[in-house]
Amino acid sequence: MSEPITIIGSETIVSGNLEGDEDLTIEGRVEGSISLSRTLTVEVGGVVRADINVRNAVISGVLVGNVEAQESVHITEQGRVVGDISSPRVILVDGSSFKGNIDMGDFDIEQEVPMRKATKSAPTPVTRKRTLDEPKEVEEVVVDEENKAVEAEAPAAVSRVRRAVPVRTTAASAAPPVNRPLPAKVPAKKEPPAPKVRSIGKKTKAKKKKA
Amino acid sequence: MANTVIGSSIVIDGEISGDEDLVIQGTVKGRVSLKQNVYVEESGVVEADVETNNIEISGQVTGNIVASDKVEITSGGRTVGDIKAPRILIADGAIFKGNVDMDV
Repeated sequence: MSEPITIIGSETIVSGNLEGDEDLTIEGRVEGSISLSRTLTVEVGGVVRADINVRNAVISGVLVGNVEAQESVHITEQGRVVGDISSPRVILVDGSSFKGNIDMGDFDIEQEVPMRKATKSAPTPVTRKRTLDEPKEVEEVVVDEENKAVEAEAPAAVSRVRRAVPVRTTAASAAPPVNRPLPAKVPAKKEPPAPKVRSIGKKTKAKKKKA
Repeated sequence: MANTVIGSSIVIDGEISGDEDLVIQGTVKGRVSLKQNVYVEESGVVEADVETNNIEISGQVTGNIVASDKVEITSGGRTVGDIKAPRILIADGAIFKGNVDMDV
């Protein structure tokens, strides 16, 4: 193993503050606070009662406390979380349990639509780290494409199934390579002007009704 | 299956209630109260409190949501408000701000 990894095993209890610059996997119990510049993974069976400040968090166990993540928080199917989450990306999958507040940063919902239109003329610079203001449009493009792609492969698919596929794929495959570093040419080529987007939506709907 | 579609150029200001699926491609302000499924499409804008069985959000929703089964925010969906439902799904890329209550 070249990457330094810390594991707190299932029979271990840690009480106090935990700080570090490497990935941390918790299979046991931690109470206090956790501050990491890398990824925290709480495995199934792991119990964390702590306020957490990390870059990424993947929760499959139980977490009680507030989470602040610079990149993402992912609550898996087995994850149980009570507390507030502050992170630009928060992923809740079906089966997960969560109670608390979610804050993905400041954004103005009204400004989203004009920004989408702007994408085609000025594709957003592709950055790995999401700044909340920029790569949203890129993600939307991905959605459009995935939908189209799946539609093309299986036009008669039931709407529920078709909808579920892109979402699951995105969440499960830890999307960064798919989602974020999208080549700049794609928006120019694929994304139609806003009115067309609507018409595509209607066509999709119509197909579904026939199917 | 019975189905209501609010097209992309339609703006409704008021209350929508009923017992069939609702697809929103336009704008709805006020209140939505349904016993079935609500789909907010990419072009859809909802500024309303929503009470329903299922809701799937690919557009924008501003308001509080109470669902008896499931709330799903897809990767293009943007939601501001509080959500109360036994199952809540937020996909990667979705944008959400508010409180989540799954009754855990």
